[in-house]
Amino acid sequence: MSVIVCRPEQVAHPYYVEGLGVNIHSSQEFCYAIYHHPMLFLDKFADQSVIDFIRDELGMGFLAARMEQRIKTKEKPEELMLMFMQECDYYTGAELNRFRQTVTSFRRMTPLEYAKAKTDYLVRFKQYGKAITGYEAILEEADDKKDDLFIGKVWNNLGACYARIFQFQKAMDAYEKAYTRKKDLKILEKMYHLTCLCPDLELKDRYRSLVSQQLKEQWDKDFDQAGEKAAGSEELKKLDELFQKDSIRRAEAAGNLVEEWKKEYRAMG
Amino acid sequence: MDGLILGLDLCDGYTQMVCDQEERTWTLPTVVCKKKNEDQWLVGEAAFAAALTGDGVMVDKLVKLVMKDGTATIGGIKYGGMQLMAQFLLKVLALAREEYQTDRVKRLLISAPKVDARLLECLQRCADYLGIPKDKVSLISHTESFMYYVLSQKREVWNNQIGLFDLSADNLLCYYEMKVQRGMRQTTVVAEREQMEESFSLDIIKTPPGAKLADKILCSCAGRLLQKKTFSSVFLTGKGFEDLGWAEEFMKLVCARRRVYGESALFAKGAVYRAADLTREKTAYPYVCVCEGRLDSNVTMRVLHKDQENQLVLASAGETWHEAGKEVELILDHQDYLEFIITALDPKKKKTVKLVLEGFPKRDDKTLKVLLKVGFLDERTMTVAVKDQGFGDFFPSTGACVRQEVML
Repeated sequence: MSVIVCRPEQVAHPYYVEGLGVNIHSSQEFCYAIYHHPMLFLDKFADQSVIDFIRDELGMGFLAARMEQRIKTKEKPEELMLMFMQECDYYTGAELNRFRQTVTSFRRMTPLEYAKAKTDYLVRFKQYGKAITGYEAILEEADDKKDDLFIGKVWNNLGACYARIFQFQKAMDAYEKAYTRKKDLKILEKMYHLTCLCPDLELKDRYRSLVSQQLKEQWDKDFDQAGEKAAGSEELKKLDELFQKDSIRRAEAAGNLVEEWKKEYRAMG
Repeated sequence: MDGLILGLDLCDGYTQMVCDQEERTWTLPTVVCKKKNEDQWLVGEAAFAAALTGDGVMVDKLVKLVMKDGTATIGGIKYGGMQLMAQFLLKVLALAREEYQTDRVKRLLISAPKVDARLLECLQRCADYLGIPKDKVSLISHTESFMYYVLSQKREVWNNQIGLFDLSADNLLCYYEMKVQRGMRQTTVVAEREQMEESFSLDIIKTPPGAKLADKILCSCAGRLLQKKTFSSVFLTGKGFEDLGWAEEFMKLVCARRRVYGESALFAKGAVYRAADLTREKTAYPYVCVCEGRLDSNVTMRVLHKDQENQLVLASAGETWHEAGKEVELILDHQDYLEFIITALDPKKKKTVKLVLEGFPKRDDKTLKVLLKVGFLDERTMTVAVKDQGFGDFFPSTGACVRQEVML
């Protein structure tokens, strides 16, 4: 339990973090974003835009100058991130040590694992278009690799991305490739559920034979339960409330909601 | 001359003004008069004269009028207390402006019996009308004036305790006492004011029996107040002490083993010494001054800085209450309350006040950001307001806020 005094900052031009879709208005928010989403900053922190923001908006000219010096000497971005966070005095020494360990674990990954972890991050923030490009690049790079488990995971994630943007056929193709590599029943379940979502799709014979009647019943049950859960979701409740409002307020709220959806949809690209 | 530095003792009975440049004192009744059928305003004795001859309508007790937000109707027009005060002050300042042939006022410090929020606001709003920047007009209490007056004298005058009897034209008898506490981290000067219950009208001293009675009353007060204490000096001020012939017994009592000084414009002079000090880069009074109008406690809060517990000072003893206070943004980490530590000059009298942030959102990971505003209603009452600031685009503000008054 503690209280931290915030630095007085007058941020006129916030820093936009694309991955998170948020504007950063203070050093505390910046530290928070870096600490919780280091992957989004690991390759970007040595950017001039970041240095400009720290110098001009956060008013930390001396730190920005020191960071620029370090960039010239090819300092690792994670060291710059730690330097920034130490100066902001938002996280304790113990918290920064934990952060260092997290970042070190990222750096220990192979280039392909690292690329996958970064792309997985994009999925977390619903940036499916970028994630699809990322996964495809990894698969191209990993073409000659024999690591079936890793490649299976990438195909699986790619399938999930396609499913999220309603490209069910492409999703099915990706899941098939994932199953070929991983032989995981869970992938088969997803393929089966795709056929439920899109009646035009069918499980190929070789997969259908793997699904017992008992499994099929269980998956159907799961699918129905998921449907019920979705029907009772907060978002739908809000939508119901919206339709109960008077026409003027309903139109206004609906406009806002559509605007939100549009924003979300564009960010997926 | 690059501007006047003025000290003004503003009371309902009389107003005294002293200019820093020369030891010239203006004393005039605190009254304002508007001439009939003319837009001409008179103050002081001229106002009395015009009212007596029926040439104008006079308003007195201007300080009280301002403090109770009152009005006065002259010639069918209703004037607010502030308007009348502005007219009065303009005329008073004109005396110094004419004398020294300059319109520029570098600093105006007004001393009143009490620092009242409404009076302070009125005086600052009058500043524009008087042609003085708002931040160059301030208000201090008589106790504070007394303090600066004494501290401006030779050190031997304020070695021990110092007493002051004020017998004002407002028929009030007040006793002030000041002591210098050395040996603390910073020398601290503490002054207090006590209004005597045993006051009397100055009119009674005009007759021998009345004078005798008044002398007796004063003796009884002095005997009680000065006994068993060592005084470096005792001061006498106010209209009642302009002539001391009527107070023989009191003078005998006060002068026994003590140095006694009479100063008719003590509060105005104290104010002008302080006003001059405010224009200097480095103060000539490097003391913590605690008195009416100033805080007598430090208010701090425990905060974490560079992994170490530190004290955030929200207000310091000796600060003027109406200028004291702080606005600061805080991050609360796994904490749903704020704790204020109030330390009086005597460190044994330390207390903590906990303000629970009811209705605030429960957010983890250091994302509960609040704006803390600390201010004061007077030297004993602190106001605290805490508002949820949200955490940027991550967590919008819920608008939750709490307000509380804390007695120091």
